[in-house]
Amino acid sequence: MKERVPTVFIVDDDEAIRNSLRLLLKSVGLAAATLPTAQEFLASYDPQQPGCLILDVRMPGMSGLELQEQLNVRGAIIPVIFITGHGDIPMAVEAMQQGAFDFLQKPFRDQDLIDRIQRALAKDKTNRAELAQRSRVRENFGSLTPREREVLDLVTSGKPNKIMAADLGVSQRTVEIHRARVMEKMHASSLAQLVRMMMDLSEGTQPGR
Amino acid sequence: MTETKSSLELQALLDAAVDGIVVIDHLGSIQSFNRSAERLFGYQAQELIGRNISVLMTDDDATLHDRFLARYVGTRIPHIIGRGREVTAKRRDSTVFPAQLSVGAVAGADPPRFVGFIHDNTTQRQSELEGHRLQERLMHVSRLATVGEMAYGIAHELNQPLAAIATYAHACDRLLDVPDPDIEEVQTALKQIAEQAVRAGDIIRRLRALARTEEISRAPSDVNTVIEELTELVQADAKAHGVEYRRDLAANLPMIILDRAQIQQVVMNLVHNALEALALGQLDTKEVVVRTRLTRTGDVEISVSDNGVGVDTSIVNRMFDPFCSTKPTGTGLGLPISRTIVRAHGGALDYQPNAPTGACFTVKLPATQADSA
Repeated sequence: MKERVPTVFIVDDDEAIRNSLRLLLKSVGLAAATLPTAQEFLASYDPQQPGCLILDVRMPGMSGLELQEQLNVRGAIIPVIFITGHGDIPMAVEAMQQGAFDFLQKPFRDQDLIDRIQRALAKDKTNRAELAQRSRVRENFGSLTPREREVLDLVTSGKPNKIMAADLGVSQRTVEIHRARVMEKMHASSLAQLVRMMMDLSEGTQPGR
Repeated sequence: MTETKSSLELQALLDAAVDGIVVIDHLGSIQSFNRSAERLFGYQAQELIGRNISVLMTDDDATLHDRFLARYVGTRIPHIIGRGREVTAKRRDSTVFPAQLSVGAVAGADPPRFVGFIHDNTTQRQSELEGHRLQERLMHVSRLATVGEMAYGIAHELNQPLAAIATYAHACDRLLDVPDPDIEEVQTALKQIAEQAVRAGDIIRRLRALARTEEISRAPSDVNTVIEELTELVQADAKAHGVEYRRDLAANLPMIILDRAQIQQVVMNLVHNALEALALGQLDTKEVVVRTRLTRTGDVEISVSDNGVGVDTSIVNRMFDPFCSTKPTGTGLGLPISRTIVRAHGGALDYQPNAPTGACFTVKLPATQADSA
């Protein structure tokens, strides 16, 4: 799978702010895409595109907070950095409570913003890796036969082979063969790893932003 | 000696009067000068008897007086007699004071003689001026209060160009910090920095223009321009309230004689009220529209409408009364002062519900009011 270049999305209704941010990001070699409204961002939003989102809290039409809410509803994992004006602290607090990655007050130091963007991009990468890993585990799990799933259930609940054989009414040798197939199909190198995979899968929650 | 007795009684009567009383003959020569007149003008009666009345007047009034006197003596048609007029009286020390002069002709006298009653208007004029000054002051204070209420949005709006300038400057710094920098790109950014500084300066200039003017000055103005000048400030206020601000201005409106700062104060006040009303509601799209149009009667109408819930019926009849405010921080003076301003322009400020929802305030300014200005 070809890895996509992370993009920093900038959504701000003020053209000067958008353009200056794009230039700043370009000066440090980051790819940026700017949009004047929250609606336009949502319309063009691609969940597969890695990156982060720089969002103005206060915009006419759909506000930054409302866009964040929409993204939450869609289960988006893109980290959001809010930029706020003076006196918008209550809004910033609300944004953080709603799962924003960070926030910055305008005007800000370039390094502060760049540091936050780097951290957000790193976080996005980890999130995506975790998601990819989980979907691989789910895929592997899907390839198991019904009998293999039964064996996996018993193995991960800590049953020794002898008990399993009795429970399933098969020979201990057959259990061993199934068990080896499960480990192979799940790409697990140890029982401990297999247990962790199954815990991750059953949690099924979004990684934190 | 009944004649002496009655003349003494007459003198006592004249001297008891609060107003100055002066009798002159047909040539303007002073025949009698009562005690109040002595007090008002600082002369003794005997100094003036026989002298011309013009010593008590400024040069302009003296010329005018000679003409009035000659005309009456010639035509016997009264122009001033029986009616009062406002004059500037001159004291012995050449200082002047505003006076109300009433003149009567002595019946049956030939050649004619005249009695003048002089009332010192200084106190009345002062209190008029004082009242006027207080009113101007109140309007100015209320304008500052409105600007103050908008300060939050304005501060935010000022922050935008500052943030852009800072970001451009940081970017330039980084763009130049490479072996072979792209000079053109840096130049473009520098131009942007200058442009944003002008934008910030513009906002401050408009703010100062609004806050500074205290004296009233009316001039023929284009109502649309008056409204456009407010756009940056009002837009900032609207944005701070999460409201869309639209203008719908009719072309080719006649010029209106108005005080720009005062009419802007009225519009600002109406828009700010609408923004605060909208902030209370939970609408998806909140908007305030300022419209101008020419009415069928040839007046210019400015309307400020919103799509909120409208003015509560319980206060519709009271909202133009002073101190009737529904806002916890409101002074309750915005609407009454706005109405005072509009009426002083010969216009009307009224309310009607907006269709389909919301409030609509209309300011009607008569196009032909050059005389009353």
